[in-house]
Amino acid sequence: MASEARDRRAVITGLGAVSAFGWGVDALRDGLRSGRTAIGPFQRFDHTRHRTHVAGEVPEGPPPDFARGPRWRRLSLADRFAVFAAREALAQAGLEGPLHERAAGVFFASSTGGMLESERYFTQLVRAGARPPLGLMSSQQINGPGDAVARDLRVTGPVQTLSSACASGALALEAALAAIRAGEVEIAVAGGSDSLCEITYSGFNALRAVDEAPCRPFREGRAGMSIGEGAGVLVLESVDHARGRGATPLAELRGSGASCDASHMTAPHPEGAGAALALTRAFTDAHLEPDGVDFINAHGTGTPLNDAAEFAAFRAALGDRASQVPLTSTKGVVGHLLGSSGAIEAVATVIGLRDREVHPTPGGGRVDPAIGARLVLDVPEAVPDARTAVSTSLAFGGSNVALVLARWD
Amino acid sequence: MGGAAVTGIGVVGSFGCGVGALAEALRTSRPVLSEVDRSAGYHLPESARRAALVGTADLTAWVPAASARRMSPPSKLAVAAARMAVADAGGIGEADLTEVVLATAFGPASFTERLLRGILDEGPETASPFLFTECVANAPAAQVAIACQARGPNITVTQREAGPLLALARAAADVSAGKVARALAGAVDESPPIVHALLDRYGALSRPGADGGEVARPFDRRRSGFFMGEGATIIVVEDEAAARTRGARVRCRVRAWGSGFDPSASRVSWGRGDAALARAARHMLERASLAPRDIDLVVSGASGSVAGDRLEAETLRTLWEGAPLPPVLAPKSVTGEYGGAHLAAAVLATTGAEFGPTAGYEILDPALRVAPHAGGPLPSPRHVLVTGLAGGGAGAWIVLERA
Repeated sequence: MASEARDRRAVITGLGAVSAFGWGVDALRDGLRSGRTAIGPFQRFDHTRHRTHVAGEVPEGPPPDFARGPRWRRLSLADRFAVFAAREALAQAGLEGPLHERAAGVFFASSTGGMLESERYFTQLVRAGARPPLGLMSSQQINGPGDAVARDLRVTGPVQTLSSACASGALALEAALAAIRAGEVEIAVAGGSDSLCEITYSGFNALRAVDEAPCRPFREGRAGMSIGEGAGVLVLESVDHARGRGATPLAELRGSGASCDASHMTAPHPEGAGAALALTRAFTDAHLEPDGVDFINAHGTGTPLNDAAEFAAFRAALGDRASQVPLTSTKGVVGHLLGSSGAIEAVATVIGLRDREVHPTPGGGRVDPAIGARLVLDVPEAVPDARTAVSTSLAFGGSNVALVLARWD
Repeated sequence: MGGAAVTGIGVVGSFGCGVGALAEALRTSRPVLSEVDRSAGYHLPESARRAALVGTADLTAWVPAASARRMSPPSKLAVAAARMAVADAGGIGEADLTEVVLATAFGPASFTERLLRGILDEGPETASPFLFTECVANAPAAQVAIACQARGPNITVTQREAGPLLALARAAADVSAGKVARALAGAVDESPPIVHALLDRYGALSRPGADGGEVARPFDRRRSGFFMGEGATIIVVEDEAAARTRGARVRCRVRAWGSGFDPSASRVSWGRGDAALARAARHMLERASLAPRDIDLVVSGASGSVAGDRLEAETLRTLWEGAPLPPVLAPKSVTGEYGGAHLAAAVLATTGAEFGPTAGYEILDPALRVAPHAGGPLPSPRHVLVTGLAGGGAGAWIVLERA
């Protein structure tokens, strides 16, 4: 089953996104370029009694011209983000319409699925002791967003949801890449979706991992992450399939690597050993020398320990060149989308490769001198010769993933 | 490279700890059920009352108390099963090349409930960091990695009833492709009252009959739902050539794997898309140069679910295109749904284990026309098809091959 694996490259032909900047990739791109953060006050739930009061909340949507369909009303918020982003990505890829006649699969990620709606159900169940409408609960499952996408697109091929905390989105892309290489599918709709909910907001606050202000990854005095919500979706195709129908690839998902720290449930390995292993594996898988990395979209949560450990991993994998490579954090702009963060960060990385610029990471204060990253500040940095970028995802429980993305021209 | 071989099994369920306890439960066809705690008020008065619970099983031989206190119930179950599996396999060798792939349908639901209840009752400022850390879906997989020092990829699959097969498939694919040397693959779930009550409200569970008993009846005309189960199953998958070189016992091979989706399914139940699912299963067989006639035994994911068993039967009959089916086992009427023991049962079937008559099955459903195993000797199978169709639409299949 693996004999074809190395003969089938995977190109990206469509992007979709929902973020705190709005519904759609254009809103994300414009927001990322603006140098301002989308993290701020939010209204998704009553956070009066929480320790912090900012998040990357998606504005009302989708746009009025979006065809919601009869099932839309029953979808959870995370399902809606996912379906919108998937349809946008397929439209860009020129693959609109049902996929049941094609060799297509859905490889998705989520941390919380419909937890926001489940919390409402549980609150009614506990407080009223009544029979709340089961419709609230039926979107509870973590596989809800991925299944909703598959149902919306009438996919009959492989469908799977991965939930390895903050590495899930990157793992979903890795699974899609493997399925294309193995000849299991020709088209892979890969991504992730999560909505804000009270359980994760209070949980990360309980860990004292959330900054009271919008997060400031890799800055001196950074004080934690900011939670966000939204979705990122990429359409991957085998090169042959894309060429055969005359599609124009945006980029290539050239390789991936994964590892586990196996040391602690919440704290990263202090020297980033696991993350460095994931990077090294990704370079090997992509047939890439470390000096071929032109920019980095880091996991970059903004917590003191994570950013330091992550950069230690970059140093281990790239050597001294780590502090010369432009580095950015999408989480510093739209917040941490948890299970779907790796997906939207892959979208942001492809945008950067296509537009030949690295988006800035807003936030006050200087770059932490103890880390020494070449963080892109305030305005986009032009990278006219950039061909290859790395996106990293490092999760609760020590799961690490690195993706290698490259221009296709 | 010698393909993906199964060299170890660890399993915990209501039947007890270890593959021997599971084999005995399957031989005698006796589900071990317990009363579910309904005191929280989540259940309807007429609800199902029993489940295949692990109960007070002593796991201290596998998870010392000092470690267990830092784990959710599913983490404890998964670590215990993983250590059993590693012992059964005779060790796992180089840590950097060991992958963990675990499936869970509902994650550590009891900790999620406790955390949420605390937020509601006492306010978010009292949220427990421990409960939060251990309520994420991948906590069991992470704890397995820490316990076994498995520093390869760490993956959690959340695709309900198809998840265990998808996890084993991912492990087999990565081992076969040479991405990892070995994998600890399987499933874990717990059955806390809140999840049991919700599944009951959806009509998924077998309810008490006139005699007060609850029976899961796979493929039976009177089936009314499944037993909720809990537990953990871990299977060690490694490169067969490497396993034989180190002298490991090869229980069977993972010969083929594949998956599909039925978009006619609702979010929580099973649809009628047997044609699409059978096409995906056939594709899987063809990619491995197999055909339905090569399958000697089916270890079905049928559980007694009204809609799920109907789709399972229709998919099998469509796949076989009218030809007689080989013998069909339905071990979930003993093990319960969730926890992955069905996977371990499939490995046992491949090695010629004895299976009693299908628990709960008595009357053929003329609409399904599938009569599961009625007891007696089974053929020594070369190829065993394992099936798993999930509520929501996903389906997965694996072919295990006799070593």
